[in-house]
Amino acid sequence: MDHDLAPTGPGWLVALETSGLGESLRQSVWLYPLVEITHILGFALLVGAILAFDLRLMGIRAPLLPADALARLLLPVAVTGFALAIPTGLLLFTTEATALAGNPAFLAKLALIGLALLNILAFHRLAGRRMADWSLSDRPPPGARFAGAASLALWVGVLACGRLIAYL
Amino acid sequence: MTPARPLALAALLSASLAWPAAAHHGWGGYESDKEMTLTGTVQQIAFNNPHAMLNLQADGKVWHVVLAPPSRMSTRGLPADSIKPGQTVTVVGYPAKSDPAELRAERITTADKTIELR
Repeated sequence: MDHDLAPTGPGWLVALETSGLGESLRQSVWLYPLVEITHILGFALLVGAILAFDLRLMGIRAPLLPADALARLLLPVAVTGFALAIPTGLLLFTTEATALAGNPAFLAKLALIGLALLNILAFHRLAGRRMADWSLSDRPPPGARFAGAASLALWVGVLACGRLIAYL
Repeated sequence: MTPARPLALAALLSASLAWPAAAHHGWGGYESDKEMTLTGTVQQIAFNNPHAMLNLQADGKVWHVVLAPPSRMSTRGLPADSIKPGQTVTVVGYPAKSDPAELRAERITTADKTIELR
C-alpha cells in the first residue's frame, strides 16, 4: 500500500485533487461536513421519492392514488434531490479524486446511476406515457411494473455502493 | 417479468459488493485486541477530511497513522498546525488487519496534550 500522503495517479485527477477547491474542502473544518450533509439530503429526497413512486408502479397499494397525480407530487421532489446530490457529489469527488477513480464501489455506483437514469428515460418514453389512463383499481401495465422494480433495485444499489465507497 | 427478479439481482449485487468491506472506515478493519503504543517522529501530516493522517517514523519503520476528522481534532484541542513534521508524538491504537504498517489511533499525545480520537 502506498503510504505517501500526496496523491498519485492520472494527471487530471491529481490536478483536480490538488486544486484550490479540493484542498480547501479537505482542510475545512465545517464546509466538508456541510457538503456531505447536503449530499445526503439530496439523495434522501431523490431515492425516497423515487422508491415511493416505484411501489406505486409495482402495483403495491395501487388503488390508493392515481399514478399521474402521485408522479406530479413525487417527481419534482426527486428532481430537487438530484439537483442537490450532483453538485455536492462532484465537490466530494474533488477531495479524493485519485482514490475514488479506482474505487470499485464508486465505479459501480456511477454505472448503476447510469442504468437508473436510462430506466427513467425508458419508462417515461414507453410504459409511463399514458399514466393518466391507468385505472385506479388495476395494477399498472407489465412494462411499468418492471420499470418500477428495476428502479427500486438500481437506486438501492446506488445508495449501497455510495456507502461502501468508504470501505473499499 | 415479475418484480422478484430484479430484486434478487440487487440482493446478489449488494452481497457480492459487501464482502471486502473491512479496510478503512470504522474500527472493524483493525485488531482491537492488539493495542500498541508508538512513539516517534512525524514525517508528514495531512490535516484533511474525511480524517487526518500522519506518517510516523517509529519502531524502525514508517507507520501510516489514521486519526480523527479535522473538526473533531480541532474541537478536542489539536487544531491544524498543532502537529508538525519533525515533532515527536505518541499514539496508542490498533494495527490494521490488512496492512502491517497502518495504525488506527485511539489517542495521540503531543508535547503538551493528549486527546482521544474516537
